[in-house]
Amino acid sequence: MRFLLFSFIALLLAPAAFAGGAVEVEKHDWDFQGLPKEWDKDQLYRGYAVATQVCMTCHGMKYINHRQLMDVGFTEAEVKAMAAELNMSINDKLVSGLEPEDAKELYGKEVPDLSLINKARAGLADYTYAVLVGYSEDPDEIHHALPDGVPEGAYYNRAFPGHAIAMPSPLTGPDLVEYHDETEASIEQMAKDVTYFLQWTAEPELLERKKLGVYVLLYLLIFTVLAYLTKRAIWRDVH
Amino acid sequence: MANIPPKKVEEDIIRQPYRWLEDRLPIISFIDNAVGRGYLAPKNLNYLWNFGSLAGIALVIQILTGLFLAMHYKADVNLAFDSVQHIMRDVQGGWLIRNLHMVGASFFFIVVYAHIARGLYYGSYKKPREVLWWFGIVIFLIMMATAFLGYVLPWGQMSFWGATVITNLLSVIPFIGDDVVIWLWGGYSVGDPTLTRFYALHFLLPFVIVGLVVIHIWALHMHGSNNPTGIDLKKKSEAIPFHPYYTIKDVFGLGVYLIPFCFMVFYLPEALGHTDNYIPADPMVTPAHIVPEWYFLPFYAILRAIPIKELGVVAMFGSILILFILPWLDRSPVRSARYRPWFRQMVYIFIASVFALGYLGSQPPEGIYVIMSQFFTAVYFGFFLLLPLVAKLETPKPLPKEIT
Repeated sequence: MRFLLFSFIALLLAPAAFAGGAVEVEKHDWDFQGLPKEWDKDQLYRGYAVATQVCMTCHGMKYINHRQLMDVGFTEAEVKAMAAELNMSINDKLVSGLEPEDAKELYGKEVPDLSLINKARAGLADYTYAVLVGYSEDPDEIHHALPDGVPEGAYYNRAFPGHAIAMPSPLTGPDLVEYHDETEASIEQMAKDVTYFLQWTAEPELLERKKLGVYVLLYLLIFTVLAYLTKRAIWRDVH
Repeated sequence: MANIPPKKVEEDIIRQPYRWLEDRLPIISFIDNAVGRGYLAPKNLNYLWNFGSLAGIALVIQILTGLFLAMHYKADVNLAFDSVQHIMRDVQGGWLIRNLHMVGASFFFIVVYAHIARGLYYGSYKKPREVLWWFGIVIFLIMMATAFLGYVLPWGQMSFWGATVITNLLSVIPFIGDDVVIWLWGGYSVGDPTLTRFYALHFLLPFVIVGLVVIHIWALHMHGSNNPTGIDLKKKSEAIPFHPYYTIKDVFGLGVYLIPFCFMVFYLPEALGHTDNYIPADPMVTPAHIVPEWYFLPFYAILRAIPIKELGVVAMFGSILILFILPWLDRSPVRSARYRPWFRQMVYIFIASVFALGYLGSQPPEGIYVIMSQFFTAVYFGFFLLLPLVAKLETPKPLPKEIT
């Protein structure tokens, strides 16, 4: 009976783990998964370039300013130069020049802030990447997903729930931005880099959290073993 | 008048500080009798009995982390969401405190559900522990209210819409329902007054729980802990002092508890939450699926299983309130399911139905999910309704003479 109960529970929980997501997005191995020691400064810089030169045309990242980049390996001089390039001080939040009212007129809806986007959508970072590379103009594919055609003012996107997204493809072609390193700015590369950057904006504490977790768990493991041995010693005369 | 012999009072605070204090306020012996050497517990308690003290620790973790969050949180619809991000990004160790509080809420429920299931399985609710059981249910109810209120505070989409859906349930109260809901909101929709009062109540209720826990333990001490055999202790040798035996066992249990807890805090802090709650609350945009926190899902499934809203609400609240009369529904003189073959199977089926309802509560209320929810709702209530009959018809196994 007990076995039956637990297999029953397992059976119920298995689909629950996948529940909720409207569209399945492909999973990728991201550098911030696992236990990296620090953020990849080059990739952050590349992602920053895409974020500020492409995304920030319309989107803001209101919890982020240039000074925070100093926490992930940028020097003060670098950060100042980067901010100056955008006519900002290093304490200015990364907000778009596009006013919210104008955005609403342009796209028919508010443009979401991107700081937390990797935490705010089912699929997380994989979803952000999937949307960025999910545009297609292939008529067969579009017809298959949206038999009634793409609604007015919307664009077809494979990863977006419902497949009709208000945002036009932001990564229209390769080399939209010029990278500081030798990396080739393909659409996939830009999507990957900006997703990486947006992971940092969503969870700047991520790597510190994972690092601290190792020590906490090691401590607890030792603590628990010692507690168990103590318990056995104290209980020896009872059994 | 009879002569009262002069009581000898310890005067020397330096040499006899313990006795000096005991003569004035016997607080140390009080604690010792409550959870120390003075409290005798059955020697055969298994690890399921750890969940009581773990629940106490989980409560303390919530209160402590909550206190520090309260120092930085702002209960204002324009500031709340940002103030949570302020805690996550700018406050020293803020992300840790918040993750502990967030994951801590879920783990508190895991512990309490295990604690309730243990009480159910071993018949801990039976004579003479009915009042102890009652106070446990009251704690559970207030804990659910506290968790619900707390989930509203980050002011994300699920906060807002969860609050809207759940508070709206009270509109089914005859005649005054709509007015009650408006009174609760402090306006015509969930808004700033709602958030402010939810914050005030979320801060208050944990301390109400602390008071109720004291009463819960007080009631426990009247007849002592139940045990896996369910039989009363007959000899002194069957009991051992709580300290050091159960204190060290609870410390070990705490370690076992903290490992998965901290694993979640550091590696999967958002796994039990909903991504929509990182979208700021927007009264103009309804999320595709409004899903409560996982620990409410079984009750949410019962609510949605019944097509008539009023009856659904009654069934949902009834599914918990029915626990109050459990000691009278189950009239079997045998406590422990170990010696009750039918009851034992029923408890397993009941627990399975709670898991099934939990899963169904996370699914959209359509098609097969509704039918399955109705089936498992029937199983859930069927358990209680069959108890009087089972108590009569079942032949219990022979009980042991003493605990082993």
